[in-house]
Amino acid sequence: MRKFTKPTWLAISWLSLMMFFAIFGWALPFKSWNFVYEDDLEVGLFSNGHILGTDSNGYDLLSSIVAGTRMSIFIAIAAVGLGGLIGSVLGITAAYVRGKVDTVMVTIFNVGLSVPNLVLALALVSVLATNVDINQAVPTWRRVMVLIMSLTIVLIPILGRIARGATLSWAGREFVTAARSMGMRDRKIITKHIVPNVLPALIAVAFLAVGVVIIAEASLSILGVGIPDGASWGGMIARGRNDLEYAPHVLYVPIFFLALTVISTNHLGDVVRAQLDSREAKV
Amino acid sequence: MSSLLSIKNLGVNFDTARGSLEAVHGVDIEIPAGTSVGVVGESGSGKTVMCRAAMGLLQGSNVKRSGTVIFDGHELTAMSKEEVRNLFGSGMAMIFQDPMTALNPVRRIGSQLSEGLRVRLEMSKKDAMVRSKELLELVRIPNPTAVLNSFPYQLSGGMRQRVMIAIAIACNPKLLFADEPTTALDVTVQAQILQLLRELREDLKMSMVLVTHDLGVVAGNTDYVAVMYAGEVVEYAPTTKLFADMRMPYTEALLESIPKVDHKSGTRLAVIAGRLPNPTDRGAGCSFAPRCKYAQEKCHKEHPELKKDPDGHLYRCWYPIGVAL
Amino acid sequence: MLVSDRGGVVMAGSGTAHMRNTVDSVLTVRDLTIEFRVAKDKIVKAVSGLSFDVIRGETLAIVGESGCGKTTLARAVLQLPPPNSGEVVLDGTDLTLLPKENLRSARTSMQMIFQDPISSLDPRMTVHQLIDEPLEIWDRGTRAERDERINNLLNNVGLEPELVLNRRSYEFSGGQCQRISIARALALDPRVLICDEPVSALDVSIQAQILNLLQDMKDQFGLTMVFISHDLAVVKAVSNRVMVMYLGKICEVAPPDVLYAKPAHHYTRALLDSVPIADPTRQKKTELLQGEPPSPMNPPSGCRFRTRCHAASVRCAEHEPELQEVAPGQFVACHHPIV
Repeated sequence: MRKFTKPTWLAISWLSLMMFFAIFGWALPFKSWNFVYEDDLEVGLFSNGHILGTDSNGYDLLSSIVAGTRMSIFIAIAAVGLGGLIGSVLGITAAYVRGKVDTVMVTIFNVGLSVPNLVLALALVSVLATNVDINQAVPTWRRVMVLIMSLTIVLIPILGRIARGATLSWAGREFVTAARSMGMRDRKIITKHIVPNVLPALIAVAFLAVGVVIIAEASLSILGVGIPDGASWGGMIARGRNDLEYAPHVLYVPIFFLALTVISTNHLGDVVRAQLDSREAKV
Repeated sequence: MSSLLSIKNLGVNFDTARGSLEAVHGVDIEIPAGTSVGVVGESGSGKTVMCRAAMGLLQGSNVKRSGTVIFDGHELTAMSKEEVRNLFGSGMAMIFQDPMTALNPVRRIGSQLSEGLRVRLEMSKKDAMVRSKELLELVRIPNPTAVLNSFPYQLSGGMRQRVMIAIAIACNPKLLFADEPTTALDVTVQAQILQLLRELREDLKMSMVLVTHDLGVVAGNTDYVAVMYAGEVVEYAPTTKLFADMRMPYTEALLESIPKVDHKSGTRLAVIAGRLPNPTDRGAGCSFAPRCKYAQEKCHKEHPELKKDPDGHLYRCWYPIGVAL
Repeated sequence: MLVSDRGGVVMAGSGTAHMRNTVDSVLTVRDLTIEFRVAKDKIVKAVSGLSFDVIRGETLAIVGESGCGKTTLARAVLQLPPPNSGEVVLDGTDLTLLPKENLRSARTSMQMIFQDPISSLDPRMTVHQLIDEPLEIWDRGTRAERDERINNLLNNVGLEPELVLNRRSYEFSGGQCQRISIARALALDPRVLICDEPVSALDVSIQAQILNLLQDMKDQFGLTMVFISHDLAVVKAVSNRVMVMYLGKICEVAPPDVLYAKPAHHYTRALLDSVPIADPTRQKKTELLQGEPPSPMNPPSGCRFRTRCHAASVRCAEHEPELQEVAPGQFVACHHPIV
């Protein structure tokens, strides 16, 4: 393994911390994120045992952040994982089979890409995650599922195209022809020769996609179709907007976490990309 | 005979992550005016790097060049980048192996060809176009007007190489560096391009450095040959002399190992055992010693110095062929 | 995308006089046509009505310049992809008629060596995995038997098993990669080895090693070879019979010594005259072939070489020449052969 640069180590450390929050956040000695500290409304950073302060509801921001990390990271990984899986299956198949299948798939991808991401997600969430009876709250899990689904749909054509492009270039290599001439089955050629070579390119883009999804989730929350009341970074930003004048930290804290996470995933995406390029250059 | 290009003790080092890589070492070559000199070697022998270093085309902070290069009375190694740049075109010019990457894919041939004329010779747009057409005729392109309006991808490999040659000779250079100009071409097209270069050299009184891996190409197209191995010129002689009376065991082995059309079919080829040396890890002795059938103890221990026969034949070998010790 | 061109006029083909039709022929190709549609109304006629046969233990060399269809032909013989029409008979079985599953197993008796030694090996696999792959697909023997076979194959191609087994292709030079490819191709004991420009990406000093190795492997494994190359000198060293192609058709078929000494087709002669000779005292002064080959999308009528041939007549434009025997074993498709 090559030595990483300092920024890369920073990005890895930050994402590790976020993963720790997401997985082991429940074990940290916090009260529930929505426990109301009635005596400490809108206190600043590092006050009264609230490292990141509280907001106007009296919620502790650190425990909100930890809970929000879980939600944001879960949504991001689930959406990118599902989108990547479906997208790569479709993309790889299309590029390997070629012909009509490919034409149809490319058309579908292009149509998907031409619809603005946020508009699509917004439409899906507002149709699928609302109740006829306005007074009855939509369960959080349902909102989360719909959110993941809509983001997945947005990601499929993006990752699918990447997978298709990479497959096209690898399937043309002579070792694939060689495998065929040895009598290898197509299914096995795909799993053994195509997928492992396409994967690095997909992983590089998946890192970028995680960042995109985190921001998309936040944007949807700000537009009011995110996780209702649930702690997510987007939800915190949405709530913090109202306090900007009196307690700007309520807004800046989640923004800081979100920004640093997105910068880290983007940076790691670039690192993976660069590793990939240097490996390609050797091949 | 005065020399047009004189290279003395040229060395090129690349700083890489794995340490310094000596790509070219102690090259001494004199190129007399009006001649054609072949530089022969296998991949990694340093032939391309040597030529680019001589032209001052190697850039980057990790490249270190040593030695002196004197071209037409100018000491290139002591000149600024700007001054060297001014010599390109009218002094020296270059053509490459792959004309597709050397031509800009999104600009028409006409504009790429006339550009040099307008910048270097300060011609008007109209004059430059007229001259461009003449140049295309000079390189025997059958329908020059159509080609002027074409994009590079619309031309065949042979046509693209002709266009590259037209660009190179646009400002009447004294010296043309041709780096594997026919390697990417088919054999019949290669013959056409080589013939074109021969004729142009004569008509324009131009010298040429022809870099190639093909001893056959060298034999019919050069006056002198420099054989390179592992970053060094191991033999340098007039072409006829080199083929008739070679000194270096490497040159001999290389010539023996190429299949020839006049061999009887089924003739088993002579083989040079082993592989090319690793440029980052050079031993103390002669770099060809591990593969040389004449190698003796001394060859593995001491690096041979460049020796000179009275007739100017240069070689780097402790036990040269045909020389009584 | 492959398309059939049944609607078009079926051309006379280059003839079949050179076919030996013996029981000894391992591979017989009859009237093979390969066409690609590159755009609407644009069909590349890569190979047109071409026939040849290869006899047991023989090396047939296919020579031609880029775009003459020689690589497409080799791949079509392996059914990668299958030709538009024609027969490819391997040991009495027409591969073009086989159902997919039978074709899969029939293919193993015909293996291919590619031009680019590095791109023909999966960069993620070790040498052991690469050579084990064909054995694994066909479940040849136990783990121990397979390992022994891999070691033997590597020794055969001149590589030290202990040194190379766990390394990956990008750690090797082009020549070594070509050795690995050869070992892999031999793993399934093929009858026919198709070599597509196996040495043109290699350095001169390595080229001879690989050519000699191929010759040794041919003798040792009793192989029949099809050797594709643009290099006439290389072809002469390895072949028993040479087939010269131009724009998807055969120009001339002959044993190498005859062909090189007395070419009968004007194209063969032009090719031979273009080969640079590594001897300054024997430079030929001959009339060079002018121009470049026409587009395979719109080949000339009659003889496809006529547009560049100095001996061309009206007859050449109107009638396609058929292969005819001009000397024992020498067949030429030309109305005005060189005599």
